Amino acid sequence: MIAAKQLSITRNGRRLLNGVNLEVHPGKFTAIAGPNGAGKTSLLKAISGESTYDEGELTINGTPANKYNPSSLSKVRSVLPQSSHMQFPFSVEQVVRLGNNSHTTVAEAMELTGVTEWRRRNYLTLSGGEQQRVQLARVLAQVWEIRNYPRYVLLDEPTSSLDLAQQQLIFSLVKHACERNIGVLAIVHDLNQVVQFADNLYFLKDGGVVANGNPKEIFTKKIIEETFCCKVNVYHDPCTDCPYIVPDKNLIQSPLKPVKTVNA
Amino acid sequence: MIWKGVKQNVTMFTSFLKQKDAVVITGLAVALVVVFLFSLSIGQMFIPVKEIGVIFLKKLGLFTSVETDSVHETVLWSIRLPRLVMTTLIGVALGVSGAALQGLFRNPLVEPGLIGVSSGASLAVVSVIVFGAWLGLDQHSLGMSVIMPLFAFGGGLLATLFVMQIGRSMGPSSIAMLILAGVAVNALCGAAMGLAIFNASENQLHMFMFWTLGDLGGANWSALAVASPVLLVGSIFLLRYSNALNAIALGESEAFHMGVDVNRVKKSIVFLSALTVGTSVSMAGAIGFVGLVVPHLVRVTLHSDNKLVMPASAIGGPLLLILADMVARTMYAPTELPIGVMTALIGTPFFIFLLIRSRRKNEMVG
Repeated sequence: MIAAKQLSITRNGRRLLNGVNLEVHPGKFTAIAGPNGAGKTSLLKAISGESTYDEGELTINGTPANKYNPSSLSKVRSVLPQSSHMQFPFSVEQVVRLGNNSHTTVAEAMELTGVTEWRRRNYLTLSGGEQQRVQLARVLAQVWEIRNYPRYVLLDEPTSSLDLAQQQLIFSLVKHACERNIGVLAIVHDLNQVVQFADNLYFLKDGGVVANGNPKEIFTKKIIEETFCCKVNVYHDPCTDCPYIVPDKNLIQSPLKPVKTVNA
Repeated sequence: MIWKGVKQNVTMFTSFLKQKDAVVITGLAVALVVVFLFSLSIGQMFIPVKEIGVIFLKKLGLFTSVETDSVHETVLWSIRLPRLVMTTLIGVALGVSGAALQGLFRNPLVEPGLIGVSSGASLAVVSVIVFGAWLGLDQHSLGMSVIMPLFAFGGGLLATLFVMQIGRSMGPSSIAMLILAGVAVNALCGAAMGLAIFNASENQLHMFMFWTLGDLGGANWSALAVASPVLLVGSIFLLRYSNALNAIALGESEAFHMGVDVNRVKKSIVFLSALTVGTSVSMAGAIGFVGLVVPHLVRVTLHSDNKLVMPASAIGGPLLLILADMVARTMYAPTELPIGVMTALIGTPFFIFLLIRSRRKNEMVG
C-alpha cells in the first residue's frame, strides 16, 4: 500500500500541500479530483519521488519512500506524466521497450493498448492521443510482470488528450491492471467517469483533502459545489447505477465576477 | 571452458543488440580494420600490407629471419602506427562523447565544441604552450605530455560546467539558453586564446593555426602511453550509459520514473566527455564535426536507439577520422592539410545527402 500521512509541501513560501492523508491500495483504482491549483500534481510528484515533501510520512509497501533509490522505486511504481516530448525519432516499440526489456511483456502491453500495428512507426509522427496510448503501454510494461510485492501506476490526467472511445479504453485498462493486483492512482478531471470506474476518490482543494471515500457516496451536490466553487446538479443514472453531474451554467460562482441569475 | 565464456559473452552482446544492429556493428568494425590497414600502407612511401604483417610479427619475435626494409619498419613503427592509433582513439572519443552529449542534452545540435569542452580544453592547452615555453618546458617532453592532458581535461570540464550552470539558471529544459551559453563561453575562450596568441612567437603561431583546425602529426608513443588509457577507459564508461540515455530521450522526469539516477548520469557523462575530449584536444587540437555528424549519420541511416548509436559512433568516429586523415596527408604530399578541414569536406556532402533522404522515410523507423 502507498500511504501518505500528514504530507505537506511548501515552495517559495506557498503551501502547496497541507497535511494530506491518502492511501492507495493494491488492486484498487484511487482517483484524485479537484480544481486547478488544488495541489493534485504536487501530491502525485511527491508520491512518485520526483519532488520532496517538507513534512509528514510517505511509505510504499511499508517502507519509507526515501529509502528507495531510483532503480528500486522504478520496480514498484511507474508514472504517466501529462505529456512527454521525445526529441529523437524512436519507433513506437522502442518507446514501449524503455519501460521493460522483456519481449513478451512489451508485446502484451502493446497489444493491450492497441498500438501493436504502429510498432515500427516513428513516435514523433503520431497524434497527441496516439502518443498518450504509447506512453501508457510503456508505463504498464514497467510494472506489468507479476512479482511478490504490490506494484503501482501513477497517472497524471491520462485521458486529457483522448477522445471518448480512447478514454473508455484507458479506464478499462486501468481496471484490467487492478485485476493484476496493481494499485492505480490517477488525477482525473472527468467526474462522471471517475464515479463509474474508481474505487476510492479524493477531492482536493487548496492543498488539503476536502472529502474522500467511495465515489458513489461522496458524490454529493454539496461536496462538489464546495470543492469546485460552482453550481451543479447531481442526478442518478439507472443504467450504470451511478450518480452523474451536470454543471449549472447559469449559476457559476466566480470570486471575480459574480453572475446574476435571471428568472425565466 | 574459455570458449564457453566467450560464447556466453557473444550471446549476451547479440541479444543485447538487435540482430540487425549486431550485423551493422560487425560490418563497421570490419570496415574500420580494413581502413586502418590500408591507411598504414599508404602515404609518401607505400608499404605493402603483407610487409606490414611481417613487421608486426617480427616485433612479436616471430619470423625474425625474414628480411624487411628497415626504412619501412621505422616509418611504420615510429610514424604511421602511433599516428593511426591516436587517430583511432580520438575518433572513438569524439564519436562516443558526441552521441552521449546529444542524448544527454536531448538535442541533435549539441557536440563537444558547442558546449565549451573543446574551446575550454584548447584554451588550457594554448596557455600551457605559451606559459610552458616561458618556464622553459619543451612541448614534446614527457612532463608536458602528462601536464597537457590534465590541463586540457580541467579546461574542458570548467568550460562545460560553466555552460551548464548558465543554462540551468534559466530552467531545467532551456536548451536554447544552454546553446547560447555555449556560444558565449566559446567566444570568451576564443578571446582569451587570442590574448595568448598575441604573446606567442612566430613558431607558436603556426602551431596554433594547426591546433585550432586539428593536427594529427604530433603523435608519439610516449604521449600515447599517457593518453590512450584515459581515452579508452573514458569511452568505454560512456558506452555504459546507452540505456540511461534512451530513457533521458523522453525527458529527465520520465527517465527518473524509469529508474535512472539522472543527476548522477548527467555528472558522469559531462565528466567523462570533458576527460576524453580534453585529452583528444591536448593531443591533436580541436577537431570539429566528428562528434556532431557521426551520431547523426547513425540515426539517419539506421535508428535512434542509443544501444546502437553509441557503439556505432564509437566505430564510425575513427572510420571518418582515419579516412579524412588519409586524404589530408596524401592529397598535397608532402604538405599536410589540417584534419578539421578534411573531416568537414568529406562529411558534409554525405551528411546533407542523408538528411534529405531521411525526410522521405520519416514515417518508419527501426
